[in-house]
Amino acid sequence: MIKIESKNVNLFYGDFQALKDVTMAVEENTVAALIGPSGCGKSTYLRLFNRMNDLINNIKIEGEVLVDGQDIYNKGINVDELRIKVGMVFQKPNPFPKSIYENVAYGLRVNGVNDKSFIEEKVITSLKHAALWKEVKDKLHKSAFELSGGQQQRLCIARALAISPSVVLMDEPASALDPISTAKIEELIHELKKEYTIVIVTHNMQQAARVSDYTAFFYLGELIEYGKTANIFTNPTNIHTQNYVTGRFG
Amino acid sequence: MTHLEQELTQLRSDLFEMWSLVLKQVKSSRDALINFDKDIAAEIRYKEKMVDAFELKLDRDCENLIALHTPVAVDLRLTLAVLKINTNLERIADFAKSIASFVLYCNKESLNPELLQVTQIRDIFDNAIDMLSETRKALKHENSKMAIQTFVKDDFLDEMNEKSTAIISEYIAKHPEESEEALTLYSIIKKLERIGDHCSNIAEEIVFYMDAKVLKHGGLDHED
Amino acid sequence: MNILNSSTSKRKKRSESISFWTFRLMSWFVCSLLFIILGFIVYHGISVISWEFLTSMPKEGMTGGGIYPAIVGTLCLIGGSVLFSFPIGVLAGIFMNEYAKDGVFVRFVRMMTNNLAGIPSIVFGLFGMSLFVNTLKFGDSILAGSLTLGLLTLPVVIRTTEEALKAVDNSFRTGSYALGASKLQTIRKVVLPIASPNIITGLILSIGRVSGETAPILFTVAAYFLPKLPHSVFDQVMALPYHLYVLATSGTDIEAARPMAYGTALVLIAIVLIFNLLANALRRYLSKKVKMN
Repeated sequence: MIKIESKNVNLFYGDFQALKDVTMAVEENTVAALIGPSGCGKSTYLRLFNRMNDLINNIKIEGEVLVDGQDIYNKGINVDELRIKVGMVFQKPNPFPKSIYENVAYGLRVNGVNDKSFIEEKVITSLKHAALWKEVKDKLHKSAFELSGGQQQRLCIARALAISPSVVLMDEPASALDPISTAKIEELIHELKKEYTIVIVTHNMQQAARVSDYTAFFYLGELIEYGKTANIFTNPTNIHTQNYVTGRFG
Repeated sequence: MTHLEQELTQLRSDLFEMWSLVLKQVKSSRDALINFDKDIAAEIRYKEKMVDAFELKLDRDCENLIALHTPVAVDLRLTLAVLKINTNLERIADFAKSIASFVLYCNKESLNPELLQVTQIRDIFDNAIDMLSETRKALKHENSKMAIQTFVKDDFLDEMNEKSTAIISEYIAKHPEESEEALTLYSIIKKLERIGDHCSNIAEEIVFYMDAKVLKHGGLDHED
Repeated sequence: MNILNSSTSKRKKRSESISFWTFRLMSWFVCSLLFIILGFIVYHGISVISWEFLTSMPKEGMTGGGIYPAIVGTLCLIGGSVLFSFPIGVLAGIFMNEYAKDGVFVRFVRMMTNNLAGIPSIVFGLFGMSLFVNTLKFGDSILAGSLTLGLLTLPVVIRTTEEALKAVDNSFRTGSYALGASKLQTIRKVVLPIASPNIITGLILSIGRVSGETAPILFTVAAYFLPKLPHSVFDQVMALPYHLYVLATSGTDIEAARPMAYGTALVLIAIVLIFNLLANALRRYLSKKVKMN
């Protein structure tokens, strides 16, 4: 079943066209990786799906962006509700200056959840889901800043999971981490796809190969090739994709 | 277990399945030849298609694993070993098939027991089959010594192969009317000797995977 | 080949030590200047400091007695100006940094705020007199003085708040939005707690400035000699800086009042110092708390 989808999407920053007629769909419970050189529009494309681009002035979006078959740029869409359904993890770990517990509980609290036992249960399951529980269970009320970079990023994943999204967007989630932490995040992604649909932007081609089921190659705002990751990395059909994945680019 | 470990475990178990299939093909070809059973021979020819499909699948899996997971060190050696063992197994299965083809298309109802006797074809078959199952066991138990031990059996096969020229020509001189069967059996002995060589290759791959040692071509390896 | 020969490395070492000693001497010079001024005031003023000096009314044409009403007056003015300028300034700062879209309007307001901060304080005094004292008919009163001082600190408070908010990394905001939080929730629960140590430090430092200003209170509140405490916000009060000015320039007997002047200066400096220390302690406490919460 198709979970998220874009149809003929064009996106402009002022006069600059950052996305050109992008049509692409992601199946439920799969991992889609977006790869491509810097400035190819892959991060911009990712941010379409939780309307993070709205924060930028002077932006214009054409075409349809669908989540569960619903156009999320329709007038009647509540952006806060959309962002509960479509969670996001950022490049740099950005825990709030609060305790580990409060970081995970934050999304619930701002969305009006007050039931203490429910929050506690959610915090625990989210931390377990993010493979962080064992490391933090004895210091839930310590500052999140005491955690290592890799742990902070898993905390941010737990924070995103706590509000029960069905889609998780990841914008280069491991680019600021050491190899061991990166491997942990990648393992986590394999686990998470059982329950979530994941779209990940990455500069690291090996990472895309390791974690994703489908890979999309973007170049100059265009979706050049989209297909099964195994095909993209063994037998890409487009010469640009071939050059990029083999490192012969530019 | 990491994702890569899961993939490697899957690859291994697929290889063992392929191995069992090939082992069964060789054993069946023995039965088909000794008992001159055309039904078994037909079954072997049918199953050969499965072996070919399996080979393609394993090749594809290895290719994907290397492309997607960039395995290194022991993981890389295992992947490469699987890739090469796979090729050897497929060749072995091919020999089983051509033995079956002989049985199937031979217009005789049975072979002269004397021919089977003088060529010691049963022993040769058993040795080849042992080599195939022992190398399998060696990989299963990750035991490189066990793999090396199979080389002894290969020596026996080589010896029988050398003797076979004299034995067969003697037999043809005695039974000129059976020269066709005798020559076919001669080629079967050659095939079984080749199976032994393939098993030796497999044993070498196991050692390469386990100990990172290259035994091929008398050990012209990078150790020094 | 060794590209570093011994003469270049010697030269590097020499220039290094010359610059090091220049920097060191300069900082010693600044420090010693500060300590000379402080020492001078403490040396002359410490002898008149006593419990009585701090808690009694001035007597004998201000050559005797204490400065109690001036201390109370200064504290009243600090309190009044804070009540006026902090809420308005902080909210304006939040609006300018978080809500207002960067455009001609915001740039204009920002420029005006900066200009306001550069206006001499005597102009504020005259403005306060004409608006609060005369037009609004508050008379010379705590109210008029507090409002004038408040106006004076407003640009500082706005700038401080804006700078503190600007220093909050945007990733905190986007992180919060991505969890479905509204803008107000994001500001209240994430941005302000992070910015609060800096905002509060800035606010307290502006108090230090308020307590030392003379010109804005000259025409709006300060009494030359008023040996009683205020009863309402419409009363006049004495204030430390103005009292000091009076003692030093226009008392009945300037020579006799000189020790009193040093004492007053010492008290004023002490008050400013206390506020600065408070600001430091509070900042340290808050930034710890922000991390821990």
